[in-house]
Amino acid sequence: MGLLDYYKQFEEVDPEEERQKLRERRAREKATALEEVPDVDLSGTEWPEFPNSEVVNASIYTARGRVNGYPDRDAHRIRKVLAEAHEVEPEQIVVGNGAAELLQAAAFALLGPGDDLVTPWPSYPLYPLMAARAGATPVAVEPSPEELRAAMSDRTRLLVLCNPNDPTGEYLPAEQVASLASSLPEQAHLLVDEALVHFQDAEPPDAVLRLVDAFPRLLVVRTFSKIYGLSGLRAGYAVGSSLSTALLDRIAPVLGVNALTQAAVDQALKIGGAEVQRRREAVIRERSHLVDSLRELAVDVSDSQANFLWIRARSMSGNELANRLRERGVIVAPGGPLGEDQHVRATVRDETASGRLLEALGEVLG
Amino acid sequence: MFIGRRPGTAPLRVREGAVRGTAGRQRFDRFLAYGMLAVELIMCLSLFGPQPLGWFWVGSQVQHLTGFVTAGIGTIMLGTLASLMVTVALAKRVDVAWKLVRRAGGHEQEAGALERIFAISVGIAVIAFAIWFLVIQGPGPTLAPQN
Repeated sequence: MGLLDYYKQFEEVDPEEERQKLRERRAREKATALEEVPDVDLSGTEWPEFPNSEVVNASIYTARGRVNGYPDRDAHRIRKVLAEAHEVEPEQIVVGNGAAELLQAAAFALLGPGDDLVTPWPSYPLYPLMAARAGATPVAVEPSPEELRAAMSDRTRLLVLCNPNDPTGEYLPAEQVASLASSLPEQAHLLVDEALVHFQDAEPPDAVLRLVDAFPRLLVVRTFSKIYGLSGLRAGYAVGSSLSTALLDRIAPVLGVNALTQAAVDQALKIGGAEVQRRREAVIRERSHLVDSLRELAVDVSDSQANFLWIRARSMSGNELANRLRERGVIVAPGGPLGEDQHVRATVRDETASGRLLEALGEVLG
Repeated sequence: MFIGRRPGTAPLRVREGAVRGTAGRQRFDRFLAYGMLAVELIMCLSLFGPQPLGWFWVGSQVQHLTGFVTAGIGTIMLGTLASLMVTVALAKRVDVAWKLVRRAGGHEQEAGALERIFAISVGIAVIAFAIWFLVIQGPGPTLAPQN
């Protein structure tokens, strides 16, 4: 180092030079951030977007009000709106803290030690658990009406259907549900979990729900967690026959649903119709496109009436497929925990997500 | 309400990777810095005596050669002004170099010393002029005439 260079190293840094360096560093960081492609998570079944801000605001408005008082334990306003929408009486509806709570409450109310809960399998993993919690025995059978009929015995107290079924996406039309309901043993009830019903396009959304008056031992459960996008608020409802109000009272939450959730649900029912319809159409359209594209690859995919597809790669297990897709930035739910380890469940979202899934599958399957 | 630091209180920012020399080199730099301060002081002091006197001599020569008083006075004024500006510019450069040498000597030297040196040199010049004016040459003959 020369003499002048030695002393020059102690020169102050020009502020403009310093600012220029900071600007360049920020530009590099931004460029790096833009280059990074975040993982696309297709493992969940809830709606991926935030709820409408007016729905959230309704909840916030309530939170700033008289929350020191108890909420409306019977959720009169919500039941009235739902009753009008489904053309039933408000007494035929109970509102709970999510569909799962109502299903579990029904299991507690209807099952006891020595009883059977029959359900097709694979299906929603909660059903065997809620039977076990109630001291009953879960009976998993092949997902066909004949198998279900054959599995029912004098021990059967509850038949639970997830319709459309999670994770397979299969939908049982109202005609077949009616057939099952009519063949129920005298002591048994039929619970139909319609959490995903808005995504089916096989028949009108209320086709099964309209059966409740004809079958007093039929209970239909729905949720605001899926197409309404309110999973975090925990809200669902059950609809039963006018002759099953005693059962409905037994499964209703003791002190009702909290006021914030009620406010959000009330607002969602008021303004959410068009948005629900838009989401429903978007999922149905994208699902059809994705199924067509997947059938060109070396995978088996069944017709789905839900917001996800049940996919099986012919050359590898579901777990391996899920791991390989994850390495390529696409997260899907491996089938093992859902009841069938040769499959994966991939949510239908939008064109971009479908593109990522198809590209990753193409790479994995060669 | 007030965000950030007050003006002039930012920490000294030198280039990354600046490495000071050995202890001996730093000691040398500290002495060198004193020497540079002395140079700055001499340059400033020269503004209040030697330089004007030099221009007075040049002006007298110009007047003698041209025969015009105005030419002599003009030379003195312009020459003094020009040398003042050149001297201050040079002193400023020395001051910048002094900061670097001080930093090389181990000090976190943030500001230069030229303003203070200039003020000190003014003080010295005023005192010197007062001694010359009042004691050596000034009103002495009037107060106590020699003849």
